[in-house]
Amino acid sequence: MQLLLVEDELEIQGFLKQSLTDAGYEVDAAKDGRTAVQFAAGKKYDVLVVDLGLPDQDGIDLILQLRRSGVSSPVLILSARRSVDDRVKGLEQGGDDYLTKPFALAELLARLRSLLRRNLAASEDATRLRVLDLELDFIRRRASRGGEVLNLSPQEFVLLEYLCRHAGRVVTRSMLLAEVWGMRIQPDTNVVDVHIYRLRGKVDTEGREPLIKTLRGIGYVLKDR
Amino acid sequence: MSSKTANPVMHSAAWRISLWATLAFAIGTMLVFTMLHRFVANDIQRRSDAWLSGEVEVLGDVAVRTPKDRLYGRVVREVAELASKEVPNKLRSNGNENDSVFFLQAEDDGPLKLWVGAGDGTQNLAAIRARKVVSDVPYDLKVNGFKHPFRVASVRLEDGSHIYLGLSERDELRVLRNMRERFLGIWLLIVLFGFSIVFYATRRMLNYVREITEAASRIGQSDLSSRVPTNNRNDEVGHLALTLNHMLDRIESSMHQLHTITDSLAHDLRSPLTAIRGKLEIALSGDVKVEHGEPIVSAIDELDRLTEFLNTSLDVAEAKADALRISRTEVDLDELVRVMIGLYEPCMSEKGLRVQLRSAGSVKVLADEALLHRVIANLLDNELKHLPASCTVSLQLRASEEVATLIVEDDGPGFDVEIGRQMFEQRVKGRDSKGHGLGLAFVEAVVRAHGGSVTASNRPEGGAQLSITWPLDTRENAEAPHSLTLVNR
Repeated sequence: MQLLLVEDELEIQGFLKQSLTDAGYEVDAAKDGRTAVQFAAGKKYDVLVVDLGLPDQDGIDLILQLRRSGVSSPVLILSARRSVDDRVKGLEQGGDDYLTKPFALAELLARLRSLLRRNLAASEDATRLRVLDLELDFIRRRASRGGEVLNLSPQEFVLLEYLCRHAGRVVTRSMLLAEVWGMRIQPDTNVVDVHIYRLRGKVDTEGREPLIKTLRGIGYVLKDR
Repeated sequence: MSSKTANPVMHSAAWRISLWATLAFAIGTMLVFTMLHRFVANDIQRRSDAWLSGEVEVLGDVAVRTPKDRLYGRVVREVAELASKEVPNKLRSNGNENDSVFFLQAEDDGPLKLWVGAGDGTQNLAAIRARKVVSDVPYDLKVNGFKHPFRVASVRLEDGSHIYLGLSERDELRVLRNMRERFLGIWLLIVLFGFSIVFYATRRMLNYVREITEAASRIGQSDLSSRVPTNNRNDEVGHLALTLNHMLDRIESSMHQLHTITDSLAHDLRSPLTAIRGKLEIALSGDVKVEHGEPIVSAIDELDRLTEFLNTSLDVAEAKADALRISRTEVDLDELVRVMIGLYEPCMSEKGLRVQLRSAGSVKVLADEALLHRVIANLLDNELKHLPASCTVSLQLRASEEVATLIVEDDGPGFDVEIGRQMFEQRVKGRDSKGHGLGLAFVEAVVRAHGGSVTASNRPEGGAQLSITWPLDTRENAEAPHSLTLVNR
């Protein structure tokens, strides 16, 4: 996976490049908009990580400029601004995503995978989805494990669906809040965890192999192997 | 704005101003006319008096000089008739008979000696005698059978008889009446015309003022970047618009400055925080023994708390300065609260808390949805953290004509009494609270930035109550079916 990282703070650029490389990306790092445009002209990247506060130009303008020159890969925006301004929201509708600094590395990696997957277009069957012995039927809104129907509430079904669509990948709490509940909040209580515990109580019943794993301090992952 | 009153025009300032201006103008012109009228009336009287005095003198002379024979009556009558033809101010005589002038000669108590004029003169003599007072200056005399009074001058002859010369005031009064009628007609026209001009002018001016007011209030509610219309006028109202715009420029620039400061502060703090957090995470991902990893994890936790604190306190600071960036969309509070309760309910029941919602259906407001999410999450987080088990949190949502009200109450220990009025201040928190003391300050700041208000109190039956009122989206009043829904699991 080719990744273009545009970040002017060299310290941040340094550890991002290291951990992204560790995660299996081939990373080119640019420290300003001009260098980024040069990189983008020479190579096709699968995904871009762009910081909004660049020394020579605004990150949004850079993204728009890249889009105009034919770069259609998804962009993950890093922002040090607190409130996300409307222009970022406008971009987000184009399949991009944003993270506010500081962020967890796991969150960044999870969102990158999510972006790349989103970009692969809907290759799954639109009516049903299988992960190991777990099967989701989207028409009847019903989930079953090993042929046995699980008694899920509509909310739990949506939650499980999101986990299954990201099977094998880490999903963070804020990703779940944003995608399942549609809100960007950071509750200082364990509201999301309780939902997962409940879902786990129904999916990973006794005698079955546990599918939903908790990664402490990071999030959750649904095993697919 | 006064569209609720029956007749908006009658209640407008333009109407009142033109009414008063017209009234002052009308009274003024009326006074001037009264003075003129008086002057003209006096002048006419003076002229007729002079004529009367002169003529009666001449007649007296003639009467004295003419021998008292058979011809006496004829001579005097000729002279009197001649004189009556030169009457001043005379407009026309109706018919042949001259009724505007009379001449009579009589003893003090004898019969009529000589009479020239309309009728037989007895009424005139009776009226003169009834007056009793004899004066040398002309006086007004009302005679029975005549519509208009006479102006009479007299002269005493040597034989003791008097000669009276009377001049009807008919023509004089007619001149004055004509003058009054014409004046009144013109006066009415001028007053009406003046009223309409003043009304039109002030209405135009005040309409412009109203445009400015409306634009200014629009700006106050939404964006600071637009300006009131100036129309390139150079009068007081034009200056008002310009001054308003200058003020808005300054407000916008200080707002912009505040944003720049908070943004750069946020940026300057966030970059090192990001770097520290990233390095800690990398350190953690290496081969670290559990006992060495634990401090790193807790350092990351502390960092996250610091970040959250930084975010919220900057938000509160901006909101307190009315500079919170709000992007309003139509939000259904009912739906939003239900989703939030759906998110928090499992966690609450895990802690032994019950949640119930009473709502009368959809309540639409114009608000920033993301901020609303954080407000409700803050309130529910508060309940989660502070309520002991087996308490009930109840939320009520209702809408009146202008406001939506959300009441969050519980039957727990209630607010710390010591906090009292400073509940919504930053950094104020209960004694046992582990939070950073910004939650309620943030709630209050966001609600206030949307034009609403928050009140907090302890219920008399125990427990805390927080009431949020929110201005409704008045453009369309959503239907409010009065059903009662209970979410109580």
